[in-house]
Amino acid sequence: MNTLPVRDFAALAPVAILAFGALALMLTEVFLVSGRRGYQAIVTVAVAVLAAVSVLVVPPAGTVFGGQATVDLFSTFVTVVICLGVALSALVSAAWLRARGAERGEYYALILFAASGMVLLGMSSDLLVAFIAIEIMSLSTYSLSAYLRRGKRPSEAAFKYMILGAISSALLLYGSSLIYGATGTTLFSGMHGGRGAGSLLLVGGLGLVAAGIAFKIAAVPFHAWTPDVYEGAPTPVTAFMAAGVKTAAFALLARIFLSSQTGAGVADVSFTNILTVLAFATMIVGNILALPQRSVKRMLAYSSIAHAGYLLVGVVSAKVEGARSIALAGVLFYLAAYTATAVGAFAVVGAMEARNKGDEEPKRPWDLDRYSGLARKNPALAFAMTVFMLSLAGVPPTAGFVGKLYIFKAAVGAQLYPLAIAGVLTSILGAFYYLRVIVHMYMKPAEGDEQPVTATAMALALGGAVAVVAILGILGDPLVKLAQAASAVVM
Amino acid sequence: MNLLSVVTFLPLAGAIGLALIPRDEAAQHRALTLVVSLVTFFVSLGLWFGFDASPGAAEFQFEERYNWMSSIGIGYHVGLDGVALLLVMLTTILMPIVVLSTWNAVEERVKEFMIALLVLETAMIGTFAALDLILFYVFWELILIPMYLLIGVWGSQNRLYATVKFFIYTFAASVLMLLAILFLYFHDGNTFDYVAARSALHVSPEQGRWLFLAFALAFAVKVPMFPLHTWLPDAHTEAPTAGSVILAGVLLKMGTFGFFRYALPLFPEAALTFRPLLATLATIGIVYGALMSFVQTDMKRLVAYSSVSHLGFVMLGLAALSAEGLTGSVYQMLNHGVSTGALFLIVGMLYERRHTRAIAEYGGLAKQVPWMATAFVIVTLSSIGLPGTNGFVGEFLILSGTFLSRLSQAPVYATIASLGVILGAVYMLFLVEKVFYGKIENPENAHLRDLSVREGFVLAPMIVFIVVMGLVPGPFLAPAKPAVDRLVQRFQQVEARQGWPTEVGTVPTAIAARPTTPPGGPF
Repeated sequence: MNTLPVRDFAALAPVAILAFGALALMLTEVFLVSGRRGYQAIVTVAVAVLAAVSVLVVPPAGTVFGGQATVDLFSTFVTVVICLGVALSALVSAAWLRARGAERGEYYALILFAASGMVLLGMSSDLLVAFIAIEIMSLSTYSLSAYLRRGKRPSEAAFKYMILGAISSALLLYGSSLIYGATGTTLFSGMHGGRGAGSLLLVGGLGLVAAGIAFKIAAVPFHAWTPDVYEGAPTPVTAFMAAGVKTAAFALLARIFLSSQTGAGVADVSFTNILTVLAFATMIVGNILALPQRSVKRMLAYSSIAHAGYLLVGVVSAKVEGARSIALAGVLFYLAAYTATAVGAFAVVGAMEARNKGDEEPKRPWDLDRYSGLARKNPALAFAMTVFMLSLAGVPPTAGFVGKLYIFKAAVGAQLYPLAIAGVLTSILGAFYYLRVIVHMYMKPAEGDEQPVTATAMALALGGAVAVVAILGILGDPLVKLAQAASAVVM
Repeated sequence: MNLLSVVTFLPLAGAIGLALIPRDEAAQHRALTLVVSLVTFFVSLGLWFGFDASPGAAEFQFEERYNWMSSIGIGYHVGLDGVALLLVMLTTILMPIVVLSTWNAVEERVKEFMIALLVLETAMIGTFAALDLILFYVFWELILIPMYLLIGVWGSQNRLYATVKFFIYTFAASVLMLLAILFLYFHDGNTFDYVAARSALHVSPEQGRWLFLAFALAFAVKVPMFPLHTWLPDAHTEAPTAGSVILAGVLLKMGTFGFFRYALPLFPEAALTFRPLLATLATIGIVYGALMSFVQTDMKRLVAYSSVSHLGFVMLGLAALSAEGLTGSVYQMLNHGVSTGALFLIVGMLYERRHTRAIAEYGGLAKQVPWMATAFVIVTLSSIGLPGTNGFVGEFLILSGTFLSRLSQAPVYATIASLGVILGAVYMLFLVEKVFYGKIENPENAHLRDLSVREGFVLAPMIVFIVVMGLVPGPFLAPAKPAVDRLVQRFQQVEARQGWPTEVGTVPTAIAARPTTPPGGPF
């Protein structure tokens, strides 16, 4: 390889666009300092849109850099979903940060850096590339969660996140080294071959890699950091993490899992068993722990754990040949639906943190009681939140319903009835705590006269998220087709 | 879009129209909702007169099919059989009445209330019209949201408890049905289409039993059948009048309709296995509901428990699986919609005047409000099934249909159920007596207004239906006949195929059993 692999670099264009966008935003802090930084959010959105468009117009290149990265429809889908998350959360951030006088170029730069890591993660088909991508993503999100340094909560959140994240990275790296030892390659595609195929070494390596990824997707029992970090981080950052990190990590998990499935043997069976147990535990524990939460933000954190459980059901269902296409497409659709819904829900949470006067944070900024009577104070915001809650609960006709339908259909098709039954039964619990928010907004009298923050950017983000949730729920067919096309290439 | 789709989505279009009118214009909201619901009714008359109930006609009429989410296998497929037609008509007739009844009762957030009502109407019609399993499920669940808001926002004191209970109960029971639907997909040629699924369905007997239970659970909660009924008294009592009327009038029928359309014809073998259980629970429900009504001190709660009893009759008729029993069930669904709907309307009118539902607060109203008392008595007579009213036709068909059915121990069920009729008469007449007769004890009752013209228009159609359906049941029974016959046939085919002893249909000799008839001769 003496010539520069132009084609290979071109395939990574979206990663480059996001990274250069981040650099450009950092430069604006040097050269274009003025009181108003509203343009930075617009630049972020533009970069995200550009990255999304770049993958859509350039046909997928297939494997590049000797198989270390794969640019296919699957990664395209993931990229677009991540860019959607970036764009929506950048809009939310604009309103939220301005209300706190905390707009800075670094913030948006970090978001874009994280996004470039996520997009790369969706493309990676090599353990080392995956590790690098995870680190790019994680270091940015650690910093983002500490972005508002004042107060105990953000630093605690960031510290916890970093320590536990470092451990998970270590697990992942160690697992990779075991896999390398067993198979002689770090490529996903080589995982089932080699002299150590089916050996205990490989099984251990896969287990450690699974644990590392389980940290990132917040699967039980690797979820303990999630509530604190989600609650402590600035709300737009939480929105971004919930959507982006989950999407990217699940893309990675799906790729590794499917690669491990190609060879029959100990490895794939044990990997399947690990994920099955994780799925059960995550659905049950996530939903049960969300039940008693009074803080809406914390409830949404637990709910994101629960949703990771449903997504795991989809991934596990992909092990069965006949259900694979449905399962993968279901996971992709679910990720898209969850991205729009979660960012929207966290955006409402962000809007509700508003303070009446001064710079003081309210005592319990996310308490359910603050949502009481919202339907009267701000009907549009209450309506948006209702749509998000119903979508999270999986009530038709929302995107969340179609996503759940799709995933459970895959589980039934794969004959994983216990998982499917556990899934629908735990979603009953979900209905209970999501409804509670609606009860407070519509059926309880208002307490206090605090008004939520409303800004154009926030309204745009909320409107966009509601539109996506409703359209995917009612006219989701085109996206389903794309998801199916995307899932076809991975198999 | 064909007529049926127009009827289905007209209310939704009206709801969108309402959303565009400013919030303060309550009068416009009311008027537009009334107009929309009336137009929907008149358009739906086209369905009524266009339906061909002759034996050779297509099973599902006004069919329409579009690709919806074809990549998951979901289609937009709607159509009506006779039973669905009757229930759609019930919905479209009740709706303007309900809107009219809330004219003064709902003062707050009129806009949202009316939007919720219209969305609810679309969802209800859609549930009856759907011929795609997922489409059905979507409409079925869509009903929960507006109903949940109706009870929770506009209900009375204990509304939060009631509405959450309602939602969770129904939602929890439905999710297993969703799994069963998904399971069907993989066992009937990869489609969610009901008609295709029904003919291609291929499941083992054990699978069939589990699937039947999953469907039956969802429907039994909605009906509600005996041990699963506890959400109903709370929801009925706390709901605003409009909510109670729709709940009693239409929503409960979705459960019995579900049995008729889905649970029974899809899994006939399993249905035959669980038939004694259904019949037993239905009979317990009849007696239990009646006894519970008897001890209630709250009028709405009393009517709610009477619904448990009445729906028990419907379920018994379904479990009898004889043509008479099934026809009676269908008829009783309509009757219950009319008579219980009317009861809730009158109770609501009393509540508007006195702001209490306690029976003890009333007494001797007949002198003050003679028109209302007359209406109430007529409705009561219908509810207890006096000959000449619609209730008689339904209950008679169910009881005789059960008695003459081949269900084992059928006479026992029928006899116990007949007790329910007597008990029904007792508690309803006691209610009439305590509320309307006697002396006025409470001075607050001394100056009550009688029915206003608007209220007269609300009740008049109900009374007309009570009488007309009681005297001329033919036109209302006719559309149901092909559907009922098909269901019985389907079961008979299954029995023949399985070689099981005949337990479906009517005992032939029993009809003609006369001492002088020689055995074997038909007449």
